[in-house]
Amino acid sequence: MSGAFDFSGKVLVLTGAAGSIGAAIARAYLALGGSCVLTDLSQTALDGLAKDLNTPDRVLTVQHDVTSPEAANAVVEAAIQRFGRIDHLVTGAGLYRDATVATMSDAEWRQSIAINLDGVFYCCRAAAAHLEPGGAIVNIASLAGQRGSKDHGHYAAAKGGVLSLSRTLAWELAPDVRVNAISPGLIEGPMVQPLLAARGPALMAQTPLGRLGTAEEVAKATLFLLSDWASFITGESLQVNGGLYMT
Amino acid sequence: MSGTHKGEVVLVTGAGRGIGQAIADAHAAAGAAVLYLDFDPALAKSAAEAAISKGWKAKALSANVGEPAAVEAAVAEGVAAFGPVTALINNAGISPKSGSKGGKAPVWEMGAAEWGQVLDVNLSGAFHCIKAVVPGMMAAKRGSIVSISSVAGKTYCDIVGVHYAATKAAIIGLTKHLAGELGPYGITVNAIAPGRIDTPLMRGTVSAANEAVKAITPLQRFGTPEEVAATALFLTSNASRFVTAQVIDVAGGWLMT
Repeated sequence: MSGAFDFSGKVLVLTGAAGSIGAAIARAYLALGGSCVLTDLSQTALDGLAKDLNTPDRVLTVQHDVTSPEAANAVVEAAIQRFGRIDHLVTGAGLYRDATVATMSDAEWRQSIAINLDGVFYCCRAAAAHLEPGGAIVNIASLAGQRGSKDHGHYAAAKGGVLSLSRTLAWELAPDVRVNAISPGLIEGPMVQPLLAARGPALMAQTPLGRLGTAEEVAKATLFLLSDWASFITGESLQVNGGLYMT
Repeated sequence: MSGTHKGEVVLVTGAGRGIGQAIADAHAAAGAAVLYLDFDPALAKSAAEAAISKGWKAKALSANVGEPAAVEAAVAEGVAAFGPVTALINNAGISPKSGSKGGKAPVWEMGAAEWGQVLDVNLSGAFHCIKAVVPGMMAAKRGSIVSISSVAGKTYCDIVGVHYAATKAAIIGLTKHLAGELGPYGITVNAIAPGRIDTPLMRGTVSAANEAVKAITPLQRFGTPEEVAATALFLTSNASRFVTAQVIDVAGGWLMT
């Protein structure tokens, strides 16, 4: 087991890298010796992140609209061209918006599915043929994908789809590549601020650990599933939620 | 990861061989002081001595986990040596194969005594061990409890008896309930559901049944005790302090429960 959390010589492709969870995953992966292809919709945000990370020799940034299949292919090509291999894929890009199903427009539904589900499909498809044996995918799903989410039907449906897609890929890419999902609960950061403003105390009361999680805690669970420590885990979803949801 | 568990005091039940020994060894290698508890004193002793010979901090304990007084005495002995237990791994378990055709007894052949014995060890054993270590963890406002469930606790597995399946399902209920009760004290409570792992217990079952499992497992092989140990090590580490009430399958994708 020794050295299993060592990503020296390994290459991670990470979408949604400029978000708080994405940035924490990038930072942790680099700290353990790996190289990262970081993608995000905003090149400005990627530039800021790359500057913070300060490891230009092991970082490639690519502006990336995950709703485009061609863009996913281009990211994979850029990764191979720069680093010569891909070992790991983490799909962190997502969009979380409020809308009840009764009032949701077609455009709102389509946009959420396009980013949260189509984007994961395009990236997994583009990377599948290129992932090195012993490689792994972790798709960032959500508590919403496990139990549904009031006022976020599009997001919950997409994340539920991500969970099923991950299990399907676990079959299709086995035995060379493992595929798992992480379902974060309430994690510190801008995304949960409206929820906390509306129902913060009630949500904390329902969380046995009585606090929000941190992006770093999601990152550590993600790296565990990518690492050789998890070499017999595939098709699994790991919830990082402090006990807020247990089934 | 050597040194990640420095300062931790880890109690592993059923640590004399197989998955339990691998879990205990992984923690000892990571710097923890490890209490190797086994029903069989000779197995506990040889496992702990092997660990000590590698330069690890280890102590052998022996108790039938189904007997609360024996568990309390063993834990007291361990605490006296290493200090309060900061992580407990409930691994001790039995899976009798007393059926008339050589495998597990089907329900119509199973005696009440065998049923009761499996419940005592696999389920009550976890309860007694938790009772013995939880006061120390509550005082420290920190701790990890990891119990070994099974894929057989989540779905039908033909090689085990109903007693084993029922106790492994009960471990999941116990885990989730205690995650709720103990979360406010900073204690995480999780379970691992191993699939087919290459251990002495597995080799005691007919090989045709094992080969059939391999064929429907995405990773196309059995797991190793070390792979179960790595997940346990993650769950007792600082990396997983926001992970609680989880049941992690370490099964190569078998049945995807």
